[in-house]
Amino acid sequence: MEIKAKILEKLQNVLDPELGINVVDLGLIYKIEVKDGTAFILMTLTTPGCPLHDSIAGGVKRALRDIEGIQDVNVQITWNPPWSPDRMSEKALRQLGFLS
Amino acid sequence: MTANHTYETNIRIPFSFIIFGLLAFFLSQILLFLSTRQLSTGEMRLPVVLSAVHLLVIGFALMTAMGAMYQLVPVVFLTPIWNESFAFIQMVVTSLGILSFSISLAFNIQMAIFSGLLLTCGIVMFLWQMFMTLKKQKKRTVITLFVGTALICLLLTIGLGLTLAYHFWSGRQLIDHDLIFKAHILLGFSGWFTLLIFGFSYKMVPMFSLAHHFSMNTARYVYIFYISGLVLTFISFITANDRLLSAGLQLMAVGYGLFAYHMFAILKKRMKKKLDKPFLFALLAIVFGVILHIAAAGFSFQSEIHSRIFSIIIYCYLFGWIVLSIIGYLYKIVPFLWWTHRYSKKIGKEAVPTLKQMINEKWIVMECCLFVASLIGMIAALASSSTGLFYLAQGGMVLFSGLFACTIGSVLLK
Repeated sequence: MEIKAKILEKLQNVLDPELGINVVDLGLIYKIEVKDGTAFILMTLTTPGCPLHDSIAGGVKRALRDIEGIQDVNVQITWNPPWSPDRMSEKALRQLGFLS
Repeated sequence: MTANHTYETNIRIPFSFIIFGLLAFFLSQILLFLSTRQLSTGEMRLPVVLSAVHLLVIGFALMTAMGAMYQLVPVVFLTPIWNESFAFIQMVVTSLGILSFSISLAFNIQMAIFSGLLLTCGIVMFLWQMFMTLKKQKKRTVITLFVGTALICLLLTIGLGLTLAYHFWSGRQLIDHDLIFKAHILLGFSGWFTLLIFGFSYKMVPMFSLAHHFSMNTARYVYIFYISGLVLTFISFITANDRLLSAGLQLMAVGYGLFAYHMFAILKKRMKKKLDKPFLFALLAIVFGVILHIAAAGFSFQSEIHSRIFSIIIYCYLFGWIVLSIIGYLYKIVPFLWWTHRYSKKIGKEAVPTLKQMINEKWIVMECCLFVASLIGMIAALASSSTGLFYLAQGGMVLFSGLFACTIGSVLLK
């Protein structure tokens, strides 16, 4: 399995505890890059000043640590572009009751 | 722009404030229950009632608001708390101030100025902490304006409170006692608490409902109308001008109405269709607030304003708007705090509960229904002066405050 696919799979275990939806389905992950054993994750949160800022960013780091070939994880939170609901997957929209 | 700062506050700070607040709430309700006979005759300014009200307003509402601010300010304003050790010292000074002040009010009101000075020290320490924290904020928003003005009103409120205590101690009045008393209530309730709840609602309502793509333009009109109303009402007290009082209360009602409309407009843009129950109760408090502001503005047109009616409105304002808002948000904040403490380091490594699983929503619904029923009972009791109804409704409040503390405490077992 390609390393980026493995990362995405692992990130599906990182849930936003307020919504109960994982960061991938929420559309919080903007970019994944792996270089010389370091995974770079560029991501956002649903709102700037999200109280779960540190917890979610830390969760992403921990989730990727045991992937073979990854020695370090660098998580960057960005507000540009800001998160938008259009980024959510169908599964996430269904969980929020937006789609039946 | 990327950001990798940490905005988490040591959870011992908000928790110590909140636990003190829960105990003060329970104690205040017991004291009010014990004063039922006097309250039913319409006597409000009794030592034990003053003590209970201050335990509720400062011991519960203010302490909880301070605790919540220590947690929310860093994340809402993206600015870490200035000095965490100072926060612990402030907590101890304020707690001792509240306890000694409440005891003085109940047993020796003349001496309340000394404990009042200690309490003032604690609140000024808090204001200093917030001033130093907000000063570091890079980009100021309309929320900064609401919270900053609320903090100024808190400073004015304690200044006025201290003046009242001086009157009791010296036996002479620096300024008309009634004027100071009215301004103390106005700036404390509508200036400090309402503006603070307005400010944080602009963060929490979109956050808890996952609302996006909404306009913030209305917020500036909310601020302009509400502040204008506050200032006019304050001037009406000084000039003893009923027309100005009426105009001030009308402007406040317009400002509050705009706030309620804006919250409704934000909620229409929400992605989370099924809102959490505690959050719904915080929203119900906004509905009560609209009714109360309209009622206050409406009654101000009467040529002879009955103090009893305004006493009932103030009681409802305190319980139906301020206390209910705090209760609703506290049911959300405490699970978050405990979750952060217990599970923050486990997320991504193992399965962790959601915030909703940290607290029993069925209990919350029952407790909030008990609170609302008791509140309605108290309004009926105040209006009819029925001692029996007073005992029943205030008994409901005592039961609620106990259950509320237990439900919040149960989160700590998760």
